[in-house]
Amino acid sequence: MAPGLVSYPEKCTGCRFCEMICSLTHEGSVNRKKARLRVVKDGIKNDIPVVCTQCVACGDDCCAEACPENAISMVDDVLVVDEDLCNGCGTCEKTCRYGVIRVVDDLARKCDLCKGDPMCVKFCPLGALKFEEPDEAKYLVVLSMLGGK
Amino acid sequence: MDARGGRILYVDLATGKMRAENTPEDLIRDYLGGEGFAVKLFYDAMDPKLDAFDSKNVLVVAPGLFTGVAVPTAGKTVFVSKSPLTGTIAESIMGGGIGSELKSAGYDAVVIEGKCKSPSYLLIDDDKAELRGASKYWGKFTRDAAEGIQNEAGDVIVACIGPGGEKLVRYAGIDCEDRQSGRGGLGAVMGSKNLKAIGVRGTKDITVADPKKLVAIDLKWQAVMEKSNAFNEDTKYGSGEFLGWVNSERGVFPTRNWKESVFEERAKIDPYYWAPRYGVKNKGCFACTKACGKLFVVEKGPYAGTVLDGIEYETLYSLGSQCGNADIEALAKANEICDLYGIDTISTGVVIGFVMELVERGILDPKDIGVDCRFTNPDAVPKMAEFIGKRKGMGKLFGEGVLRISKEVKQGSEDYAIQVKGMEPPAYDVRGLKGLGLGFMTSSRGACHLRSGFYAPDLTGKTWRISGVDRFSAKDKGEQVKLMEDFMMVYDCLGMCKFQRGFFALEGLIEFLSAVIGSSFTEDDLLLIGERVNNLKQLFNLDAGIRREDSYLPKRVTTEPIKSGVSKGALLTEEEMMRMLDDYYEARRWDKEGRPTQWKLSQLGLA
Repeated sequence: MAPGLVSYPEKCTGCRFCEMICSLTHEGSVNRKKARLRVVKDGIKNDIPVVCTQCVACGDDCCAEACPENAISMVDDVLVVDEDLCNGCGTCEKTCRYGVIRVVDDLARKCDLCKGDPMCVKFCPLGALKFEEPDEAKYLVVLSMLGGK
Repeated sequence: MDARGGRILYVDLATGKMRAENTPEDLIRDYLGGEGFAVKLFYDAMDPKLDAFDSKNVLVVAPGLFTGVAVPTAGKTVFVSKSPLTGTIAESIMGGGIGSELKSAGYDAVVIEGKCKSPSYLLIDDDKAELRGASKYWGKFTRDAAEGIQNEAGDVIVACIGPGGEKLVRYAGIDCEDRQSGRGGLGAVMGSKNLKAIGVRGTKDITVADPKKLVAIDLKWQAVMEKSNAFNEDTKYGSGEFLGWVNSERGVFPTRNWKESVFEERAKIDPYYWAPRYGVKNKGCFACTKACGKLFVVEKGPYAGTVLDGIEYETLYSLGSQCGNADIEALAKANEICDLYGIDTISTGVVIGFVMELVERGILDPKDIGVDCRFTNPDAVPKMAEFIGKRKGMGKLFGEGVLRISKEVKQGSEDYAIQVKGMEPPAYDVRGLKGLGLGFMTSSRGACHLRSGFYAPDLTGKTWRISGVDRFSAKDKGEQVKLMEDFMMVYDCLGMCKFQRGFFALEGLIEFLSAVIGSSFTEDDLLLIGERVNNLKQLFNLDAGIRREDSYLPKRVTTEPIKSGVSKGALLTEEEMMRMLDDYYEARRWDKEGRPTQWKLSQLGLA
C-alpha cells in the first residue's frame, strides 16, 4: 500500500506547528482553521493529531462517494479535491468521521499528502506524525480517543 | 499587514465598552511586537502612581511578531501590567496558544482596564468581543475553569486565573493550556478586576511577506536544531537537564533558602532520574518543534493522580532544594497545586523555604502555621502550597511574598528574605554568578534570570558576542549585562523562545524577518529596539517611585559566603554590587540614580 500519514498521539506535544505549516504550504498564509489536519487538545493528558486516512479507515463514511459534485477522486492513491468542481456544499465535512476535512470559504480543504512529501512530518521531530504504511488499527485508536470531539 | 492582526482592542471592564483601532505602522517599526508593543501600550495608558490593585491598572496582552506565523519555537504571548508584588512594570511571558489565536482574530494586542462588577470573562470571537458572566467558574481550578468556558463558548483558547489570583496572592499567575505567565502576580491583577479568563477564537488568515522563503528557512533551521546536542538533551530531560552540572560543577544551585548552594540530594530531583520514570511524553509550548516539557504523571503512592506539565528547572529548585525537598513526588504534587491554584512556582517555593528558615530559627511556630513546615519534611511543601493558594490561616500572610512577610513578622526575619524589588529569585546563586547578580538588580520586574539571560555567559563563559566571562569577577559586567538585556528583549518582542539564542542569534532572526514581514533589519536596528523597550520600562519604574536602592541584593548574598562546593567562599560584596550598578548605569547612559539622560532618550526617540 502507498504510504500515508499516521498519527501517534502518545508522542504529540500539542505544539500545533503541523497545522500552521500545513496552511502556510497550501494557502500561502497561516490559518490553523484551514489546515488539512488538526490537533485536538483534550485536557492536559491528550494531544491528538488527527489526519486524513485517505480511505484506509473511513468505512462507509466515504467523502468521495458522498460528494454530490464528484469533486473528490482518487489520484495515485490520494483522495484529491478538484477545486473547480467543489462548490463548498459541506457534504464531505459532514461525512468525514475524523472531522479533518473542513469547508472554509466555499472550498473543501483536504490533505493531499503534499504530493508525496508531507510538510507536517518534517516539523514533527518527536514522531507524532509519520509518513509510512498506513495502519487502520492506529486510525481507529485516534477515532476512539476523539470520542466525538 | 504581514504577520499582524492589524488592530488593537481596547476593553473597559467597568462599562463593557470595546473599541478596536488600527495598529499604527510606527509601532511596528519602533517596537516590533510582543513585549515591545505591550510595554509601549501599557506605558501610554497607565498612571505609574496607581496601585497595582487599583481598578484603573492596565493589563495588556500581546502576541510576539512571529507568534502564530509558523516560525519554529516562536509562539509566545506576553502579559504586561503593574505588579502587585514589586510595584514595578512586570512582563510575564507564556507558551500557551492564546497569542496566536488573538492574532488570528485580528488583534496585535488587547488593552484592558477597569473592573468588572461581578466575576466575568472576556470572550473574543473574531470581530465580536463581549463580557460574559463567570460566577460559575469563580473558585474553580485553572484547568476546570478553562474546560468549562470551552464547553460553553466552543472552540476557544482560554487564559485564566485560579483561586490564587481571585484571592489576590501577590504572585498569582495566568494559565493557558497548562503553560503559565507565572511571575510578577499578573493573575492577581486579573483577580482584582473580577476577570476570571480571556477566551479567544480567531479564524482569519495571517499573511507573510514571502511564504515560500519562510518555508525554506523553517526547514533549514529545523534541520540545524534537530542535529544539535541541545535538541537531544532538551527533549529528553527538559529545562532541568543541566541541574546536576549547575549543582556540582558550578556550585550555585540555591538550597534551603540560600543557606547553601549545593543540594546533596540532587540525584533524586534530577530529570536524569525522574524523566524516564515519570515522564509519559513530551509537552511543548505553542509552535515549539523542540518541546522541552514533560507530561509528568504519578501513578502510585500518597501523591497518585498528580498530573502536570513539568517539572521545570526553576521549580526543581523552588519547590525542591530551596525547601530541602528531595521527594520528587511531593515536589510534583506541589507543582500541580501551584498550577491548579494559579500561583507562581518560583515565588511559592521561595516563600515556603523562607518560612522554613523562620521556623528553624524559632521566629515562627509550626503550630501557628498548622503545617510542620521544616526543611526535613517534604510533605510540608504541597501542604504549604495549598494553604497559600487558598490563603487559609497564615497562608493569607504567605501569599504576600517574602518581603511583605518579613516586614510583618520582623524579629530580624528581613535578613533571610531573599528577594530583589520584592521578587523572589530563580535558581541561580548569584554569589558565584556576578553578572547575573547584576541582572537580578537591573531587571525591571525584580530578581529575574530572563531579562538579562546572563546565567548563560556566567555559567559557560561565552554566549553570543560575549566571551571570556569570569563569573566570580565584577569587572566588565555593566556593559555586558546591558548588551544581553537588549539582545534578550528582541526575542520577547518576536515571541521566540530564548533557548533559541544558540541557534537563531540576530542574524537568524533577521533572516526570518525578511521572509515574515519583508523588511530588512540590521543587528544594530534590533538591539536599538531592545534598548528602547528597556529604557521605557525604566522610565515607568522611576515614575512609579522605584529607586536605585530598591535594586539592591538581599543581605545574605552580600554578607554570607557560599559554604561549600566548587564556589565555596564566593560572595558578591556590597562594594562589587555598587560598582557593577554604576558601570551598568554608565553603559546605559543613565545617571547615578538610574535616570536615562536626555541624550539617550533622544537617541531612542523617547525624549
